[in-house]
Amino acid sequence: MDLFAPFVAPAAAQQLVRLHVRQFAMSADPLSLRVGETLRLRIVTRVDENLLELDNVTLPDLSGFESLGDERQCTTAYRGSQCVETMTLTPTLPGDRTIAGATLEAIDARTGRAVQFSSNTVTVHVEGEPVPNYFLQALFDGLIRPFLVLLLVAGVGCAALWGWRRRPKPVAPPPPVAAAPPPPPAPVVPPLRSLVDALAAEPTRANALAVRGELRRSIGAREEETLADLRARKATRGDADLDAALRATEIAAFADDSRLQGAIADAIPPLRRLAGPPAEAVL
Amino acid sequence: MNGVVTPPRVLLDALADTVVGQEAVLESLVQALIAGGHIVLEGPPGLAKTLACRALATAVGGSFKRVQFTPDLLPSDIVGTRIFDQRSGEFTTVLGPVFANVLLADEINRAPAKVQSALLEAMQERQVTIGPQTFPLPEPFVVTATMNPLDSEGTYALPLAQMDRFLVKVLVDYPKPDEEERILQRFGGAQPALPENVVSVADVLAWRDQAHAVHLEPRLAKYAVALVAATRAPHDYVERGASPRATLAIAALARARALLDGRDFALPDDVRAAAPDALRHRLAFNYRLLTDHVDPERIVTDLIASVPTP
Repeated sequence: MDLFAPFVAPAAAQQLVRLHVRQFAMSADPLSLRVGETLRLRIVTRVDENLLELDNVTLPDLSGFESLGDERQCTTAYRGSQCVETMTLTPTLPGDRTIAGATLEAIDARTGRAVQFSSNTVTVHVEGEPVPNYFLQALFDGLIRPFLVLLLVAGVGCAALWGWRRRPKPVAPPPPVAAAPPPPPAPVVPPLRSLVDALAAEPTRANALAVRGELRRSIGAREEETLADLRARKATRGDADLDAALRATEIAAFADDSRLQGAIADAIPPLRRLAGPPAEAVL
Repeated sequence: MNGVVTPPRVLLDALADTVVGQEAVLESLVQALIAGGHIVLEGPPGLAKTLACRALATAVGGSFKRVQFTPDLLPSDIVGTRIFDQRSGEFTTVLGPVFANVLLADEINRAPAKVQSALLEAMQERQVTIGPQTFPLPEPFVVTATMNPLDSEGTYALPLAQMDRFLVKVLVDYPKPDEEERILQRFGGAQPALPENVVSVADVLAWRDQAHAVHLEPRLAKYAVALVAATRAPHDYVERGASPRATLAIAALARARALLDGRDFALPDDVRAAAPDALRHRLAFNYRLLTDHVDPERIVTDLIASVPTP
């Protein structure tokens, strides 16, 4: 704040805000630029009161600049507020341009009188637009650019030649030998069938659990689904073997040891119908 | 007793002949009877809650008492009291209606907490202390209570400690249209008779022994523990999870369900089916449940569904 002077319009003073003004300053960034470039002009006001917005700020004369935008923001802290007005400007004429101070009209809370506060002034140095150097441009276009193009073509040619010389030598094909008959393809045994084979060969709880797990996986059972959920599915209801296999493996998985062998024996037939005959029988 | 035990399915069929629809409710009643626990039925008026309890009591050929819980009820009205006999000059004990095989506590939440608490000892210890004397209750002893969730005026919320004593809380919902038509046909004229002495008290005691012997795989026991543990995990609406009594309840109900189905081993279906009835009254919900208008039953269902089955 550079100065403040008594305000001269007593009628308007009744509408003014009573303020403890701590700071009323203006700054520009950058202070030196060319025509066509942009600068930010900031007017910062700090007062002791809590304000949502600050009126009665009169912007300075900005002739010689074109305004590209204006933003106002007040932030309130524990004690007091800070209001910042940021203008984005671009100079239109070269030369040193002094921006006059902004003014704020308020009632000075310290004196109770209407006062016009004035901010500092800001001087901005504006240079004209750069003049192109036609001699250097002609030199670049006439000599340096063709030389660079030739250099690039030569480099690509050398790289291609080097790569061709290092190519792998063709290997002579081995003499033909009497072709052995191809081995018979290994039979692809579905996982469920191999697990059922294992269960039939070794009727243990672990094998029963493995079959149950594979059966559930094969029909896409989710981990929270129980037997009742699976049996309630439309697809399961129409498949008697699947239904029987699900029930039988469930019993084999959870019946007590004395019932385990009987439960597995009950489970094998529907599982066989579902998974197919034993792998040896297929071979 | 001739040594032949009537299967529990017979009792269930007899109840289904009397109470139209509500198959799940009747199954829960019989399972709780087999598991040796107490039952609370909750549902709007007119859904045959009292009828189901009365039918259960009369079908089991034991003694049956009914107490209509009211705000002016006293503990002595339940358990009994001591009366001074002027002629003999001595105190005599008059036993209350709690001394029965089946006690129907109708609208249990209409009595104040001190009366509800009078049932605590009876339900948990299966004995009643009147003055200096302690009296054992008959076996089996089952409390079947009913509650109406709609009328909150003039009711007293049951303390969690008491709710925990109920093995199951069964929700009774409105019947389907075809069931309601059957209700109209059956109850439109004379009141149908209740099933009487379909099974004996000895049958019920034998079922309990059989249920204890039902095989529960260790993986199923872990599943039951995981279900209860899921209620204790941090949750937006659950303030306090279920107690270990809930785990015991799920296991007992799963065994009872297996027995009712004619099996001597339990399946994951038995455990999961037992969980809602055993858990819903043992969870303490926070205020956000009310403000967000969330159905507590939905939370119980989601918690159960979040636990993988073995």
